[in-house]
This record gives sequence, C-alpha cells and structure tokens, in this order.
Amino acid sequence: MTKRLLSATALCSVLAATATAQTYEIRVWSGGSSEADSYRWEAIEMAADILEREAAIRGEEITISIEYMWEFGGWAEFKQAVTLAAEAGDAPEIVVTSHLDIAPWSQAGYIVPVEDYLDLDAWPLSDVYPNLMDIAAFNGVQWGIPQDAESRPFFFWRDHMRAIGYSDAEIDALPEAVLAGEYTLQNVLEDATRAVEMGLVEEGMGFSPRVSNGPDYAQFYQSFGGELYDPESGKLVLDRAAMTEFYQFFVDAVAAGVTSRTHIGTDWNEWYADVANGNAAMWHGGTWHYGRYLSEGNEDFFGTVAFTLIPAGGTEAGRANTITHPLVYLVTDQGDDDVQNIAAQLVEIATEPRINTLHAIKSAHLAVAESQSSVPLYAQDPWADAATSVLLPHANSQPNHPDYGVYSEAMWSGLESAWTGVQTPEEAVAELEAELVSVLGDKLIVR
Amino acid sequence: MRQDRIGFLFLTPALIAVVLFYLLPVVMTAVFAFTNMSTSTGIRGGDYMLTEGSLRDLREQGLNEATLSHLADAGYVVDAEGLAALAEAFGAPLAERVEAALGGQSFATGRDLERALRDLRAPEIRMTRDRKRAADLFQRSVLNIRHDTAAALAADLSAAGIPQSEQDPIVEVAYTGWSWTTRNFELLLSLPSTARYAINTLIYVALTLVIFNVGLGLFLAISTFYLPERTAATFRAIWFMPRILPPVLYVLMWKWLMWDNGFLASALAPFGVERINWMMHSEYHAWVAVILINGVVGASFGMIIFASAIKAIPQTMLLASEVDGATRWQQVRFIILPQMRWPILFVTAYQTLSLLASFEYILLSTGGGPGSATEVWAMAAFRTALNNYGGNLQYGMGATFALVLVIIGTALSLLYLRFFNFQALLAKPRIER
Repeated sequence: MTKRLLSATALCSVLAATATAQTYEIRVWSGGSSEADSYRWEAIEMAADILEREAAIRGEEITISIEYMWEFGGWAEFKQAVTLAAEAGDAPEIVVTSHLDIAPWSQAGYIVPVEDYLDLDAWPLSDVYPNLMDIAAFNGVQWGIPQDAESRPFFFWRDHMRAIGYSDAEIDALPEAVLAGEYTLQNVLEDATRAVEMGLVEEGMGFSPRVSNGPDYAQFYQSFGGELYDPESGKLVLDRAAMTEFYQFFVDAVAAGVTSRTHIGTDWNEWYADVANGNAAMWHGGTWHYGRYLSEGNEDFFGTVAFTLIPAGGTEAGRANTITHPLVYLVTDQGDDDVQNIAAQLVEIATEPRINTLHAIKSAHLAVAESQSSVPLYAQDPWADAATSVLLPHANSQPNHPDYGVYSEAMWSGLESAWTGVQTPEEAVAELEAELVSVLGDKLIVR
Repeated sequence: MRQDRIGFLFLTPALIAVVLFYLLPVVMTAVFAFTNMSTSTGIRGGDYMLTEGSLRDLREQGLNEATLSHLADAGYVVDAEGLAALAEAFGAPLAERVEAALGGQSFATGRDLERALRDLRAPEIRMTRDRKRAADLFQRSVLNIRHDTAAALAADLSAAGIPQSEQDPIVEVAYTGWSWTTRNFELLLSLPSTARYAINTLIYVALTLVIFNVGLGLFLAISTFYLPERTAATFRAIWFMPRILPPVLYVLMWKWLMWDNGFLASALAPFGVERINWMMHSEYHAWVAVILINGVVGASFGMIIFASAIKAIPQTMLLASEVDGATRWQQVRFIILPQMRWPILFVTAYQTLSLLASFEYILLSTGGGPGSATEVWAMAAFRTALNNYGGNLQYGMGATFALVLVIIGTALSLLYLRFFNFQALLAKPRIER
C-alpha cells in the first residue's frame, strides 16, 4: 500500500515536473570577437546556470541551452548574417554588437528594448555607468546593455621620446599636458619628425595610425573641434573647417615623412608587431591592444609605453578626446515574449560585476559598472586601473543615428583621398560635403 | 509537335536556371533600385512607430506645437481606466492601493511609474515582469509602440485625442519600412563619386581588355602556335595557372611581390631605388597593379580560344604560303589574323561583360584605393549594399548601382551581337566553305 502510494506520488511529481519544465534554446552571436573575447558568450552560459538554479529554488524547472557563434570573418559579414537571419525570422536570441547598430536595427524591428524586461533601477543595471547606458539607448529607449567599454588612446614609445629630449618626468606628465591642450597634434608632428630624422625609427614610422576605417578617425576630427552630432536637433554635423584641418594633419604627416602614404591597408599583424616593439615612435589604438602588445613580446608595457588622450589639434576650437565604442548586448524580436524575457534576464546576470570583470580583464577591456573597480581581479590589474582613470572620464561615443554609417564611410573615403594625395584636403572636404548633402539632405547640419 | 515537346523538355533545366539565376536577380535588382530600402527599413515592409526622432521630424514639418507636446507629454497616467484594467489583471486590492497612493498622478516615462509602483512594495507586483505589465496598463503615450498597420496607429492617435485632420503626417513619419522612390537615380546623377566610378570602370575594362584579354591572349596563341606541340602545351598550362589559383592566394602573391617589404622593393633596394609600396604608392601604381593582376588571369581565356581557332585553319593554306615564300609575319598578317575575326569578337564581347561585373581582384589587392582611385562601379555597388562599418546597409542605392550595370551590360551585348553579326558567327565556319 505504502509502496503504491509512494510510486504514485513519484509519478505525479514527474508528471508535474514535465508539465512545468521549460526549455529555452538561446543562441548568442558575437561580432568583432576573437578567442580573447570568449566571455562575451561564456558570461551568458554562466548566467544561464545561475538563472536555472534561481528558478529551481523558486520551484520552477527551466533548462536553458546556449549555442554561440563568433567566427564571422569580419564586422561586415557578421552584420549581414544577423540582418539576413532577422529578415528570415531566425535571428539569434542575443546579439553582441556595436552600439551603432541600435539605430537601424531598432527601426527595422529586429530588436526589442531591454527596458521592457529589466528593472534598470535595480542592481546590477543601476550600477552601470550612466554614460555607457546612454550609448546603448536610442530615441529615449533603452535598447541594449553595454557589454564592455574601451577607449582609444594615443601611445608614445618612451625610449624614443627620451632620445628626442624628453625627461622621464615630462613623459609621465604627458597625459596632463595633453588634457590641458598644451601638447597638441602639432607637437606630435614635430616630435615624430625628430624621431625619424634622428633615425630612431624608419621613415614613415614616426606616427603609425590605425590601418583601416574605424571610430578612431572621428577622434581626430574632434581634436580639431569637429562635432559629429547635434543632440538638440538630432542631426549629424559636418564641420568643414575641422574636417579640413583633420585631413590636413594626415597630409602634413605624410609630407613630413612620419607617416607612410601607403599606410592604409597595412596588415594588422605587421602593425601590431611594429608598435608593440618600438618600431614606431607614436601611434594610436585601443585599450584592448594592451593584451595584444604583451603577446607580441612586449614584456614591460608600462616601462616602454606612455599613453594619453588623443591630443587636441592645436587650433582654438580643438580639444583632447577619446572615443569609446562599447559593444552592447541586444535582445532580438522572437515574437515570443517568454524567450525574450529569458534572454534579457541572461544579459542582466551577465552584467554583474564579477562576471563582466572576467571579460574586461581577459580581453583587456574596461569595466561597464562602477563597482567592478572593487572586484579584486579588476582592481589588481594595472592596465584596467590606469586606463579607467585616465581615459574613461573623458570618453564620448559616436552617435546612434541611422545614417551615421553613411557619414562615417564618406568621411573615411575623403580622408583616404587626401592622405594618399589623390585630392587636396580642400577638394576632399568639398566632395564629402557634396556627397553628404545629397545623401542625407536635411538630416545634416553643415557648419 | 511531339518532337517540339521533347525539345522543350530538354531545354527546361536550362530555362529554370536562366530564370532562377539571371531573370529573378535582375528583376529583384530592378525592384530594389526603386526603393529606399536599407538595414533600417528592413526588407519585409514596415510597422508604424512614433519615436522622439519622429517628433523632431514632425516639428520641422510644421506640425502644431500643441499636438506635438500632446504626443510628447502624454506619458503614463494613473486614471480610472487604467485602474479598472489593473483591478482586472491583478485584483481589486492592488488597484485600491495604487489609487490611494498614486491616483490621478502623471509620469513622464514608464520607468518613473515603475519606480513609484515598486515603492508600494505590493506582493502582486514584486516581480519585475509583473510590475512592467501593471505599468503598461497606464500608458497613454503612443510613443515607441510598434503598430502593425496605419489604421492601428491612427486608432491609438484618436484615442489619445489627436484630431483626424492631423493624423496623416504623423502616420507617415511613423512608418518604419521602405517606400518606392526614384531618388536613387537622382542621387546617382548628382553625386561626384559616381562620375569617378564610371571613369574608373571605363579605364579598367578598356585597358585590361585591349592589352591583356585580347592583345596578350592573341600574342600567346600565335606565338605558341609556332612552337613544338609539347612545349606549346606546357607554356599554355603555365599561363593558365593564375586562373586556377584561388583569387585570395593569387592576390597575396602579388602583394608579396609589390608591397614595401616585398620582393620588388627588396630586389631594387641595392640599386638605390627607394623602398615603396609598388601596388599603392600612387594612383598610377595602383592602376598598373590592378590591370596586371586582372590581365594576367584574363589573358589565358583568350589564349585558349585563339589557339584552338588557329588550329582550325587548314594546314594547307600555311604550307602553300610557305611555298610562296611568305615570312612568319606575313602568315600572321595575311592568313591567321583575317580568320581570327570571330574569335576576337567573341572574346571581346564576353570579356567586356565579365570585366564590367567583376571586382574581386581589385577588392583583394588595392581595395579600390588609394583614395577610391581604383574603385569601379561594381565594387561601389557591393560597398553600398553590403559593406558598411556603421551598419546601415543601403540596399536600394546599391541595387541602383547594380541595375545601371545590368542595363549597360545588356545594351553592350545587343550592340556586340549586332555589330559583329552574330548570325553569321553561328553559321557554318567560313573556313570550311
């Protein structure tokens, strides 16, 4: 009798469990990622484990399986893959991508606002830096959650700076001098020229910029006082004078022999190896390059490299600056609220300080939340600590605007023409203006 | 009749292929070209969603301020209607508590209301999801809500008290999808870059075609014709290699040859020649590189066609000419070349079209640079439609670029067919008459 009762109970509970058991298959696609960025998806796996355990304690049984993908070739292939999948109704539930995708993807209806599922006033989201949260918002709606932060500093090779006459104290004071606008891009040109003339570096290696288009170049436009976006009117801004001076700077660098005319398109691996080992006097890159420089054989980063904001252009309107280009977690529209809810919960848990810190330190990115500086792994990392204090407070981002992509491509194409001597800076800016005015019409303010 | 049907049956696979791989893409390109389709608008059509951005657009269009602020400030209101809905969804006790604490209050955003609701610490809405569901019941703003149809948005606007007369521009601005337009073509005519792409394409096609695909092809065919058969075959096989190599590898070898640390720069350095990137140093260097890279691949096609055409020339004609004391040059000039007209026409026509549409070697080598000096039309189409770091791909504009190419290609084919008298080409070879 008792035995039968027991087995009946067991059967009932099995049935009940099957009735309430929920299975979720969550796919995470991560753009622009390498092996070092594995916590972009591993954090979601960890979050799934925690969420399952939490549900079990509440008496619910949920099973979440995570599938991830990160090898897409490049950003272009990744974005094509996501948009085509979304059009086919088969998008991954969670996407890790550039914040610039929020504007087009929200209009297209590929993504849902995370604010529909998450309490932004509660921990851990309440702890995320407000300026980073703003970068993941568009039209007043919180579409995504910052996945990491970075900024794009200017680097100096200490030995070469010493050789051209800077004392150690002066090199250490460079961050302040740059911030105060005392050390400008004009000084960069002079010092890089000296480094080349003294034979410290080869011709064309005085100043070695990024080899392809990227947010970095908008920094130099800002250095000359250019603004990308007018928040008041929600329009993109083309500042002719700043754009011309920005182009002119690169033309001057080529003319002075400190930057190669054919630098664009240099192989990334070659470039990394050069800058990490003192083959360039100055360059600019990203905070995440730190990890790469170490793996390129630089064993004493702080002893060999100094870093600052991108210096001001040296004109009256110019300012020192740096751009942060955070990746964000976005939840896609699956037409099933429960799935989206689970996806959003996973993103929230993945944002918790300890978990996000794993990514920040492994990939040499910066924290997204204030309390991460109290997580030992983060606090004890010399680079994260230094970069967070010197750079992040002054970082701004590129605007979330559906047409920013057009603007950015055209700006780059103009720079390429001027840099390679195909056009003068004035001609390139005139063509850029004509192009943008035609394409963007009244979505652009020309100053 | 029966035979016709069998013939048709045999043709069916080919017809299906033509429809699937030629007609359908062309038709779709033509359709896309007349739209403003982009990543933002999506492909499937759109919804209706008012956002802060659309309000800014409406202000510029001159919508009256009262309506605008009505739309912007509607926010969330704890009113009788919302409370009734709340009572139904969560029970009367919660509704009473909310009414007592927040009754009549307005909140600018859902987040503000959620905060207030959280402070109530009511058990029914302790879970975030429930609290959001409760807050949504008080939403009076139409902002940021996706509506499937214009009618649904209009109904919501009416409910929000926006007069019928003002709804049309609002609905129009709120549309998120693509629409029909001819603007792409206007842009194409007005953009300074399009003229450059057109000129670049002309340079690229004409020079590659004349110098390599036809010129070098012909030279190789004739010169190998006079070699012993075995040597000639080996020689032709070598020329065929670039065509067999994967393009990425093939271009990589050119880069190793031409870049500033490459073979050419290193080999010339001891002679005091400055180390430069021979592929990208100037637009002239880039053009030479682009034409060489494409030409070396392209020449083998003409070589094979021409070589087999020369073989079809009756040996007796050549032997007779030799008896008459003709030199090699005279043989080429008076016997071979006159009989090569058709193959030359064919290679010219075929290669023009294939060069017009190809850009992979340019993309892999110069990337269209320096400064878009070697960017050709097909590549601009690709970049516009499928490659944008900022993420908003311009499908419509890209299709317009592609459509122009299709039109030019089709026109050229017709012209070639007519000009070269294709009918005669298909007739019995003259050599055998």
